[in-house]
Amino acid sequence: MLFVGSGRKGPGPFVLACLSYGLPLIFIIAPLASFLTYSFFHMENGQIVRGFSLANYQRFFTDAIFIPVLWRTCVLCFSVAALATLIGFPVAFLLSTLKGRMRYYLLLMVLVPLLMSYIIKIYSIRSILGGNGFLNRFLLWTGLIEKPLTLFVFNLNAVLLTLTVLLIPFAILPIFLSLERIPRTLIDASSDLGASGLQTFVRIVLPLSLPGVITAATFVFVLAIGDFLTPQMVGGQSGFTFGRIVYSQFGTAFNWPFGAALSAILAVVVIAVIAAGGRFNRQRP
Amino acid sequence: MMRLSWAATVILVAITGLVFVLLYGPLFIPIASSFFAASHGDVQWDAPSLEAYRGLAANRSILDAVTNTLIVGFSATLLSLVTGTALAIHYCGGKSAAREAMQFAVFLPFLMPPIITGLSLLIFFRETGIPRSLATVIIGHTVFIQALAYRTIVVRLQTLGPSMVEASTDLGASAWQTLIHIILPNLQSTLIGAGILSFALSFDETLITLLVTGTANTLPIRLWAMMRLGFAPDINALVAVILGLTILLCIVAVRQFLPANPEHQD
Repeated sequence: MLFVGSGRKGPGPFVLACLSYGLPLIFIIAPLASFLTYSFFHMENGQIVRGFSLANYQRFFTDAIFIPVLWRTCVLCFSVAALATLIGFPVAFLLSTLKGRMRYYLLLMVLVPLLMSYIIKIYSIRSILGGNGFLNRFLLWTGLIEKPLTLFVFNLNAVLLTLTVLLIPFAILPIFLSLERIPRTLIDASSDLGASGLQTFVRIVLPLSLPGVITAATFVFVLAIGDFLTPQMVGGQSGFTFGRIVYSQFGTAFNWPFGAALSAILAVVVIAVIAAGGRFNRQRP
Repeated sequence: MMRLSWAATVILVAITGLVFVLLYGPLFIPIASSFFAASHGDVQWDAPSLEAYRGLAANRSILDAVTNTLIVGFSATLLSLVTGTALAIHYCGGKSAAREAMQFAVFLPFLMPPIITGLSLLIFFRETGIPRSLATVIIGHTVFIQALAYRTIVVRLQTLGPSMVEASTDLGASAWQTLIHIILPNLQSTLIGAGILSFALSFDETLITLLVTGTANTLPIRLWAMMRLGFAPDINALVAVILGLTILLCIVAVRQFLPANPEHQD
């Protein structure tokens, strides 16, 4: 539109085109390319050997540690996605039944915590779940338990709960948007034809909101699997996830090529999940 | 939408209430704690005090981190609005496979887990010999948030349509005159909205920053470092201050984004 069809030739369009292809090329494609290249290097005596080798990928598939950790991490993130979607759906549904300004204010209230410091939220949740935290003190006070629970302290349960709490808003938003898009006439038609509220919900609302539910679950899964801070902070020794292994290759373990290979594998998992979600949504009319 | 039965309403409200407790509990506790004295890492709920705020005002390392975060936030927001606008104008200039490829590349850092964006940049900076500093953090943030700025601007340009630009060029305006007098004024509210959102994203970006940062820390990185040693009560005061500022920012954003009269859709 701008800079085209005017018949005038100046330096503008050329500069703009250079910028438009140059910037993503330098700052997005080149880094990704160098990262993929690194995954084919390997380490010897603390030095990076620059030569093509599949050693990193071979190590991933043959070493007994990595595949189980990746699998466990995927299960964890699927659980987070399922939990967040299950809890998020009723909230999104309630929001979609509200009228006028109220629904936007509530929606905004769902989103505001996303703007709050991630680190502080994790720290705060950790202190709530901890051995001497609010949850245990509350349960002790009510007399439900006699000594502090250690169920949610520095293990995968803690990671699961923390990630779910952090990511719920990402589940609510897509579900709300899909619910909002359901034409009112369909619901009126359903009740005019004598369907009960429950029947209308199960036969009309639920199927039509499914694309939003799938998008929500995909969102949450991708965000959860890429997070290495939450497991690091609330996971303790037993809450070891794939993201933590990747990150440790760039810190304590200091094996950048292997870390690059592991993140390439992570990228494959993420792409597969996004593709599966997109495919599922496209198959529906 | 549909009318709910009494029982369904009660259940839905109860679940929503629980979710709000989950979302706001972790924010409320540090804020409440900030107004009480602390000793041995435990909050003394019977001793109200503003000690935390005095501590915050005297804590150079936190204030430096806040300054760095603001520098990074404003620079990255400005940069991503400029590049986002340029890329969006180019994308809307016609249809071609190259344009689609460009758009895909721009979206990548937003679609991929941040750890991959961060690692790519880390390796890239090392290979090109760029030392890690606040500048690399700004680049990292820009790459990430420009996807969002770009997307909002493209949507706006597409709804604008080409007629105004065509009219402008037909009347003899140069491309730059059209940009300054036609395109930018029409993008104003979009740019403000995208700017606020970009700044908010940059302000809290942790995962990419952690990988590309040098010695100058932004606030989330400073907090991350402090947290491993245990927490200072000053942080609680900081959370309270940041929450207040965020709410202010939200009010501004609401006025910007919310339809003036949303009652027409129910």
